[in-house]
Amino acid sequence: MAIIEIKAEITGNVWTIQVRPGDQIDEDTPILILESMKMEIPIVATDGGKVVDILVSEGDTVQEGATIARLEV
Amino acid sequence: MKFVEKIEEHAERKQRALSMGGEEKLAKRREKGMLNARERVHYLLDPGSFVESGLFSTSMQPKDRDRTPADGKIVGFGRIESRRVGIVSNDFTVKGASSSPVNSNKMEHVKKVGARSGFPVVFLGESTGARMPDIMGAKGIIGVNNDPQQYMRLRTNPWAAAVLGLSFGSATWYSAMADFTVMKKGACMAVSSPRLVALATRQEVDFEELGGWRLHSEVTGLVDMVVDTDEQALDAIRNYLGYLPSHANEAPPRHEVPKGSDEACEGILDLIPEAKGQVYDVRKVIDRIVDQGSTFELKPRFGKTLVTALARIDGRSVGIIANNPFFKGGAIDADACDKAISLLVQCDSYNIPVVFLVDQPGFLIGIEAERRRMPGKVMNWLNALAQCTVPKFSVIMRKSYGLAVRNMGGSNNANEVAAWWSAEVSFMDPRSGVAVVHGISPEDDPEAHAAHLEEMSRDTSAYDLASINGARAVIDPRETRQYLKNMLDVYEDSYSGGVGQHHLRNWPTGF
Repeated sequence: MAIIEIKAEITGNVWTIQVRPGDQIDEDTPILILESMKMEIPIVATDGGKVVDILVSEGDTVQEGATIARLEV
Repeated sequence: MKFVEKIEEHAERKQRALSMGGEEKLAKRREKGMLNARERVHYLLDPGSFVESGLFSTSMQPKDRDRTPADGKIVGFGRIESRRVGIVSNDFTVKGASSSPVNSNKMEHVKKVGARSGFPVVFLGESTGARMPDIMGAKGIIGVNNDPQQYMRLRTNPWAAAVLGLSFGSATWYSAMADFTVMKKGACMAVSSPRLVALATRQEVDFEELGGWRLHSEVTGLVDMVVDTDEQALDAIRNYLGYLPSHANEAPPRHEVPKGSDEACEGILDLIPEAKGQVYDVRKVIDRIVDQGSTFELKPRFGKTLVTALARIDGRSVGIIANNPFFKGGAIDADACDKAISLLVQCDSYNIPVVFLVDQPGFLIGIEAERRRMPGKVMNWLNALAQCTVPKFSVIMRKSYGLAVRNMGGSNNANEVAAWWSAEVSFMDPRSGVAVVHGISPEDDPEAHAAHLEEMSRDTSAYDLASINGARAVIDPRETRQYLKNMLDVYEDSYSGGVGQHHLRNWPTGF
């Protein structure tokens, strides 16, 4: 078991959060949707695993490279 | 019987040469679930097809002659799916498959025969690097017969490589130079080992950090595919070679079309959101267009805003370059540029037509992009595209903005361009255009904004594009597969038998 950090690949506003701590999710599952470049861009799990925590809230602005969630894989 | 002694000696010597590094070392590998070098050869090649070269070679050092069977690198020729290949399999149980003058000569020999006769060469990597202390001093490092073209790559015949264990030196160089490289999780690929790094620089680093699968699949992009086992790695090489010709002067082999391939494209509309701002995963779209089960994605964890893959349409090999809005909205970043160029080089070198699937908001801009040398990469891509002589087809699915329109085959950069009826082409998103030219938002002045937006949105549709032959067809997405089948047929070059000019064959091999 290892903890990995999921990072925002692009700067944007958090529109909706789609998973909760404790959820077991697959690779490529959207964790949240960012509004950026006039699009709804999902930030997805890079591996399958259990959501440990979500580090942002809806409405937040996140910067490229910021950690938005942690997964136990 | 005549020659009894000779026959017995031959059998005994052969037995010793085939024994690799001895039962103890081989048993340890078995416990770890790793195949040994000879098992790898036999797994990969068609049964009974292996013809070994240099079985009786050994180290030149007198003290090592009796304990270096085949000198640690097993090489020869064989067949995969009945087609000829050359093979180099590093035997880690013999001096860590370290490179010596004798086994380097064996590798060179296979490479030369492959290039001469026109068949692929496969490198199964697991090696400690140069053999110590043999390589010390002028005689070791310089030698007298070094080939100045040892690391020249002209892509006359395909090379495929696997990183199957600890790989430093030789195994790393060939993995970096190959057209396709697969890596097993737990393996390590680096210039030199953590031990040497620690001795030279005092940097303490472990195998994963220095050269593990995450580094090479996500950061360097030097590896095309990651797998869990030896067998999966060898299966990947077998599959990969099925898309390629045996050499650059023939077209790739044509395969049978799996049943249901035409029907699959019917469901394509289910995957595409109607709202412009919503995204989808283009990998699912590709799977609906190509022959069922034929998508062979390359570098899937690297430069994810753009997908590159080999696939088949109507049984013919194609290279796919597709924007993926699912990641960063499909904005093309520096890694995506490198990945696209790498596919173009491969397709141009081995006569594989290229298909672009376009849905992109432009190049990713900003500080990070400039630091990553975006201007150079964008121009490299256009340079490669201009030199690429295989047939190129571009399908504009939704938006295509900016100079990247050209990188993705628009503006006559592909032989044929088609647009889905949902296509939209311009210099930038009309909403951004209003902000740049007029400096107002919908909140500032709704009426004026709406008027400017209408003006900026003019002349951007698929039909506008078609009216000036910027697209020679406007199609329903469900017609994409049939359109590409037609174009592949129309562009089959009867003069050359489908062999291009290979201007990109000497493009740099690494990233």
